[in-house]
Amino acid sequence: MEAAIKTLVTTFISTSKGKENLNKKEFQKLVSNQLGSIMEDTDSASAVEELKRGLDDNNDGKVSFAEYLTLIGYVATSLSQSKSGSSADAS
Amino acid sequence: MPSELEGAMESLIKVFHRYASKDGRGTLNRRELRELMENELSNFLKSQKDPAAVDKIMKDLDTNGDGQVDFEEFVSLVVGLSIACEQCYQMHMKKMAKK
Repeated sequence: MEAAIKTLVTTFISTSKGKENLNKKEFQKLVSNQLGSIMEDTDSASAVEELKRGLDDNNDGKVSFAEYLTLIGYVATSLSQSKSGSSADAS
Repeated sequence: MPSELEGAMESLIKVFHRYASKDGRGTLNRRELRELMENELSNFLKSQKDPAAVDKIMKDLDTNGDGQVDFEEFVSLVVGLSIACEQCYQMHMKKMAKK
């Protein structure tokens, strides 16, 4: 579990190259490279832009680490629900 | 083929359900939360040894007050630990920059 948390952090940091926020291009790269198997339309620039706008609580056009974690939490929660709903003993 | 990030989410979900299903309910009770912290977070956290700290964490996570931690509430723990981890990294980078 600690390794998983480290991955959440390092994925953000390596995409932002150590900066505090992801700009539009970096966010699109993260979504299409890292979330393509579990989300739809990750290759669509307009869909990703829409997603970014939804996350951008402070409306600065960038995605902060906290805003990124909101997305991760949301995706993980819906993934968890779909798993426990259909195949509770799969793993 | 899942990416690294997708694999990480998958493993967080697995860990949660492994502990949450011990008593037959799909949520963590206090004992299951403590076991999860003891076995899965022994390097990140030391507070699992202190019953009062476990109580406090349980209370903080249990936002709907039902005495159980569901997956959404568990996500807050993951977010909190990730933020601490990121701050630690930024501090480390500042220290390195000074040298």
